[in-house]
Amino acid sequence: MRPLTPRRILWTCAGLFGVLFVMVVISLRMGAYPISVRDIVDTLYKAAMGRREEVPVEFWQVVFGLRLPRIALGILVGASLSTAGAGFQALLRNPLADPYVLGVSSGAALGAIISLIVAPHVVGAIQIAAFIGAASTITGVYFLGRRGGQLDSPTLLLAGIVAASFLSAIIMFLLTMVTGSELRSIAFWLMGDLTAPPPTTNVLGWLGFLFFVFIVAAGAMYTTSSDLNLILTGEQEARHLGVNVNRVKFVVYIAASVLTGLAVSVSGAIGYVGLLVPHVMRMFFGTDYRLLIPTAAIGGAIAIVLADTLARTVVAPTELPVGAMTALAGAPVFIYLMRRRMR
Amino acid sequence: MIVALACCRAVSAAGAPSQAASDKRATRNVTDETGRRVAIPFSVRHVVTLAPNLTETIYALGLEDKLAGDTSFCDTPPAAKLKPHVGSPQTPSLEAIVALHPDLVLATTSINRAETVDALARLGIAVYTSDPHTVRGMLDSVAGMADLMGASEQGAALVAQLQARLDAVHARIAELPLVHVLFVVWEDPLITIGQNTFIADALRWAGAESAIVAQQNWPQVSIEEVVRLQPEYIVLTSDHSESDAASKPSELENLRTRPAWKALKAVEMGHVVVASDEIDRPSPGLIGAIEQLARELHPEAFALNADGRNLVGAARVQLEMVASACTKKECVSCAL
Repeated sequence: MRPLTPRRILWTCAGLFGVLFVMVVISLRMGAYPISVRDIVDTLYKAAMGRREEVPVEFWQVVFGLRLPRIALGILVGASLSTAGAGFQALLRNPLADPYVLGVSSGAALGAIISLIVAPHVVGAIQIAAFIGAASTITGVYFLGRRGGQLDSPTLLLAGIVAASFLSAIIMFLLTMVTGSELRSIAFWLMGDLTAPPPTTNVLGWLGFLFFVFIVAAGAMYTTSSDLNLILTGEQEARHLGVNVNRVKFVVYIAASVLTGLAVSVSGAIGYVGLLVPHVMRMFFGTDYRLLIPTAAIGGAIAIVLADTLARTVVAPTELPVGAMTALAGAPVFIYLMRRRMR
Repeated sequence: MIVALACCRAVSAAGAPSQAASDKRATRNVTDETGRRVAIPFSVRHVVTLAPNLTETIYALGLEDKLAGDTSFCDTPPAAKLKPHVGSPQTPSLEAIVALHPDLVLATTSINRAETVDALARLGIAVYTSDPHTVRGMLDSVAGMADLMGASEQGAALVAQLQARLDAVHARIAELPLVHVLFVVWEDPLITIGQNTFIADALRWAGAESAIVAQQNWPQVSIEEVVRLQPEYIVLTSDHSESDAASKPSELENLRTRPAWKALKAVEMGHVVVASDEIDRPSPGLIGAIEQLARELHPEAFALNADGRNLVGAARVQLEMVASACTKKECVSCAL
C-alpha cells in the first residue's frame, strides 16, 4: 500500500470533485423542463454578470428557482449523512452503524410530527422542531450511553437502538391523530424528500448557513482522524499510544450527531447513503480516516445528486422521493460491491 | 411578452408582489381558501390543475380551452387524460408546471401538499388553493374558481343548476329519518370517514349519516365497532374497472364470504350500496353521486312521483306532531 501523503489526499479529492462537477452538470441539464446546456451556461453567465433581466423568466425559475437549490441541498445532505455514517461506524466499531442507528432520525421525525400537529402552517416550524428533536435525542442517548462516566460503544449502541424504537412507537401513536394533509407531509418527510422549500426567502443565506455548520462539524471530526485510525485497532492500544480516547469519542459523537440532525431537519430521513457511501469509499480508497472522511463527504454528495436526478427523471413528470431512490438503488449496489470484494 | 403587454389592462391592482415583478401583466390580489394572498392576472389564459376534482370543475365550467395541463390522476371527463400531465397530485414536477407557462395553478388541500404550493409561490407562480369541507363549500369553490378565470356567469349558472338539483333531492327526503351507514373508504384495514369531511356532508344531503363518529378525517376502525353499531347500510365506492351495475352483486357476495362482515345485519339483508366514485371528489360530479346515493338509500321517496308528494306531505304532518311532543336533543327528526 502506498503511503498516505497530503498530496495523495488532495489528488483523490480533486478527482472526486471532478466527478461531482460532472454529476452536477448532468443534473442541471436533466428534468421535465427542456433546457439545453447552452441555455444553462448562458443563464449562469448572465446571472454572474448581474444581467438578470436578459434571462427568460422560465430559465431563471428552472435554473435558480428549482434545480440549483435542490442540487446544493442534495450535496449538503449527502455529504453530511455520509460523513456522519463514517464517524458512527468508527465510534461504534460496527460496520452496520449508520447516521440513524442512535435514534437521531426518530427524534427528528417526532419533532417534525409534533410541529405538524401543533403549528401545521408555520413556515420553517418543521425544520426547527426536527432539529430540536434530533438534539434532544442526541443528548438523551449520550447520557444513557455512558458507563462509568465514559462513552461506552456497546452501551451507546444499545441506548440508541432502544431510543429509536421507543420514539418510533410514539410516532406511530401520534400518526393516528393527524389528519389527511399533515399526514401526507409527514409521509414524505419520513421517506426523505428534497423538494420542501427552505423556511426563508433568502435561499442563498440559508444554504450558506447550512454549509457553515457542515464545515465546522465535519472539520471537527477530521481533526480526530489520525486518532480514529488508532482507536479502530483497539481502544486499549490507542490509550497506550497516548490517544485521549474519551475526548475523541466525544468529538466524533457530537460532530456526527450534528451532521445527522442537520441533514434530517432539512430533508427528512434519507436512508442508505450514510451506511453505503463510507463502505464504498473504503473499498476504493482504504480504511484510513484521513482519506475516508473527505472522500465519504464528496462521495455522499455525488450519491444524492445522482439519486435525486434519477428520482426526478425515471417516472417524469411525477417525482419519486429521493429516499425511495436511494433505498432502491443502494441495496443492489452494495451487494454487488460486497460480492466483488470477496472474490 | 409582447402579447402579454398587449393584454395588459390599464388598471393595476395595488401592491402586486415583488415575485411577479418580471410579469408585467396587471394582477389583482385575492385571498384563497387557505387564507393565502395570491396575485392573479385579470385575464387567466393558461391554468394548470393539480387534482382531479379541479380538472373536472374546469370542464364543467366549459373552460377546458384554458386548461394547459393536469395531473396523471385526472380521468374525468375522458378528454382530461389527453391534456399534458405534470405528474401525480402529491409529487408533481414543478418544472413540468413551469414548462406549461401557467398564469394560474389550482390546488386543493384534499390531495395536494402544502410544500408544493409553497414552492410554486416561491417561483412567483400564482397558486389558488381550494379547501372545501362541505357540499356548499364545494359550490362556493366552483363559483370562486369561475370568478378567477373571468367566467363568473358560467360559474353562477353552474352553481344555480347544481343547487337546484340538490334542492330537488332535499325536497324528497328532507322529512325522512337519516339512514345510519358505514362509509367504507378502504376495506382492509377498515377506514371510514370523520365528521369534518365533505363526504360526511354529502351523505347528509343524501339522507344518510355515518354511523361512526370521529374527529379525524380518515379514521381506522375495528370491525367489532361496526358489529356493535349495526349500520343500516354499507356504502362502498366503485372502481373504474367495473360498471356500477355489475359491481354491486359481486361486492355483496364478497362481503358475505368474510367472517365478521357476513354477520352484519346490513350485509344479511343485502343493504350494500356501491356509490359512484364521484363521491370521493369535491367537484360538480359530486351532486350526481348524491342523487344516486339518495335514490338507493331512500327508494320509497323516489318510487312515487305525483302521489309521492302527498305521501311526503302526510309524513311531514306526522313528523311535526312527533317533533312538538319530543324534547330529546338527539332525536334526528327534531334536529331537522
